[in-house]
Amino acid sequence: MYELTLCHLYPDLLNLYGDRGNIIALRRRAQWRGIRMHVVPVTLGDAFQAQNYNIVFLGGGQSYEQEIIQKDLISQKGNEIKEAIEAGRVFICICGGYQLMGKFYRTAEGRDVQFLDALNLWTVEGEDRMIGNLLFECDFLKDGGGDHRIIGFENHAGRTYLGKGITPLGKVIAGFGNNGEDGFEGARYKNVFCSYSHGSLLPKNPRLTDYLLLTALQEKYKDIETLSPLDDCLENKAHDTMIKRVSG
Amino acid sequence: MKGIKLTSTILLSKIIIKGLRMIKRGGTSLPGKIANKLCPGILKDIASNFYIIMVTGTNGKTTTSRIIEQILKETGTSYIANRSGANLLSGITTTFLQSVNLHGRSSVSTALIEIDEAAFKAVTVFLEPDILVVTNFFRDQLDRYGELYSTLKDVAAGISKTRKTRLILNADDSLCVSLARDSQKSVIYYGFAPEAYLDAKASENADASYCLYCQTKYTYTNKVYGHLGGFACPGCGYRKPDCHVVCTQVEAITGSHSVIRFTVDDGLLPSCDGRNAYTAKINLPGLYNIYNSLAAISCGVSLGISMDKILYALASFENGFGRMETIKARDRELKVILVKNPAGFNQVLDYLVTDEQTMRLAFAINDNLADGTDVSWLWDVNFEKLSAAAERIDGLFVSGIRAEDMALRLKYAGLDTKKIELIKDYGALIEKGLSSMKEGETFYLLPTYTALLDMRKFLKKKFNLKEFWQ
Repeated sequence: MYELTLCHLYPDLLNLYGDRGNIIALRRRAQWRGIRMHVVPVTLGDAFQAQNYNIVFLGGGQSYEQEIIQKDLISQKGNEIKEAIEAGRVFICICGGYQLMGKFYRTAEGRDVQFLDALNLWTVEGEDRMIGNLLFECDFLKDGGGDHRIIGFENHAGRTYLGKGITPLGKVIAGFGNNGEDGFEGARYKNVFCSYSHGSLLPKNPRLTDYLLLTALQEKYKDIETLSPLDDCLENKAHDTMIKRVSG
Repeated sequence: MKGIKLTSTILLSKIIIKGLRMIKRGGTSLPGKIANKLCPGILKDIASNFYIIMVTGTNGKTTTSRIIEQILKETGTSYIANRSGANLLSGITTTFLQSVNLHGRSSVSTALIEIDEAAFKAVTVFLEPDILVVTNFFRDQLDRYGELYSTLKDVAAGISKTRKTRLILNADDSLCVSLARDSQKSVIYYGFAPEAYLDAKASENADASYCLYCQTKYTYTNKVYGHLGGFACPGCGYRKPDCHVVCTQVEAITGSHSVIRFTVDDGLLPSCDGRNAYTAKINLPGLYNIYNSLAAISCGVSLGISMDKILYALASFENGFGRMETIKARDRELKVILVKNPAGFNQVLDYLVTDEQTMRLAFAINDNLADGTDVSWLWDVNFEKLSAAAERIDGLFVSGIRAEDMALRLKYAGLDTKKIELIKDYGALIEKGLSSMKEGETFYLLPTYTALLDMRKFLKKKFNLKEFWQ
């Protein structure tokens, strides 16, 4: 039996906007295929040992909560996280969690808050929040045909910019994405997947969920090539209904 | 000059209110909106002679206001009150406009005002409450309210502008208590004693695990639900304060009512009748309604109302407008419960799981502005709880603009997808839900705010319900 272990980082602090829906989706879609998934919460003061986990999940938080974890993240867990990223471990980082992986966050007053610096990207606080449904397309989901569009919901004041070596997760069709300027959404580096999208992101976008699961499985087991198909009737209905609405 | 402007604005507003009623529109906001445009600050003029009781907080404002209203009725006090759909500046202004004469004076002297926590700060520019009840703070539609801490800060800023206001606060909510710590006001606290309720189910404390002042993780002597309970910060000593009104024992909690024992601080009782411990039957189900009742009891005693009257009001209270509103359909029962955020929704699910009868459930989820345009919060609700009662659920319907999202949520909560039926039309949904129901079975409708408004149109026609603004 295949087994995966997911580390939920700071679940008691970074848990905005239904982030746990992403974990529920990963866990169920593994379970329905007979793959066991353990979820391990790791929070302030806990040791983070990268070799124990196949997937690391980092959600969004309110500014107050992000402040609380900043020190713990950088000084207690930072090096392990960076090594795990280089080793190809799967990371899923949403909204605030996405920003935290970058170099810094520049506040509206022009003060730079140092972040983890695991990825070459940074965020600048903007005046207006970017709120609304977000539709984007991912090239890496194009293989084998099928729908490579991702639907979610964004709500962020930070504008994120990608530096060298980081590719966007997708191209915005409707909504703001990273900064509302360059037409891109999210970030990808090795097996780190970052997005501004809530919704929750994964339940309504099963192709992305399965891509993440398969990537994590292939990291651990050499013999697995595909995942068995599931009945995604309800998933596709929720996905398609919203896309139809958003694209008018 | 000002007098003429005031009079003409009031006159015009009254004509608009009448006109809207005649064409069967609620007219709860528009007249106030126009009046504020024509005569800025009008609320200050027309509300200045009232004794004002205000209720705010994330969850329970409406029910708490209605219980206080019931208490006022018992005493024969005449009062004016707004309705939940009219809890912003414009709606509150309309409520006062209806009561005053053309000179801006009213024969009524008490106002019971439910107010949206996000509107509180702006309204306190014009209205100073004599009593302010704050029920709790939980995360709510974040696309509309922004972060929880900014809502809290705004309420605190509103309070700091008031001079005479007496606070009634939930002592089990660390966020609520901070409002008193950061001001020097007279406060009545209510809460649960540590031993009052030992059946608390483990529930997620997603909103306030860490101290507001020093960021240390709180410890708890007892937890009631969410972040509510006997919190204490090991870092800086910030902790639950001593309560004036305490639920000492939850004796019974059923599908229709609760029985609690509670005590009231001697200093609060007008004339000492030799006892300060009471038993109350609360004619409302759900643990969260015990908090709402404690808030209303605190308000009642601070108004000097006798305990007999308060207890009678609690026992005879009937809920309305989507707050566990019960509609009898022949020998069958239909209950409507508004859902709007994870904390409230989880409480409703806890209640449903305690009901031992067979039930049908319909979730109607909209994503209009008033509902919150982001439905991600559905994933923060523990629908997984429903699997414990799965064999008693004899129908599962999803409806509303985001019915598809709701269906998906139920699937991932582990419920049988074959049982889930998607019906967008509310008329058809209610028909289907009520058809071939077994005797004694209850059909629960759980709509978000705008879904409730639309749904109620069908219910009104079918069951002859009152207009919601009456």
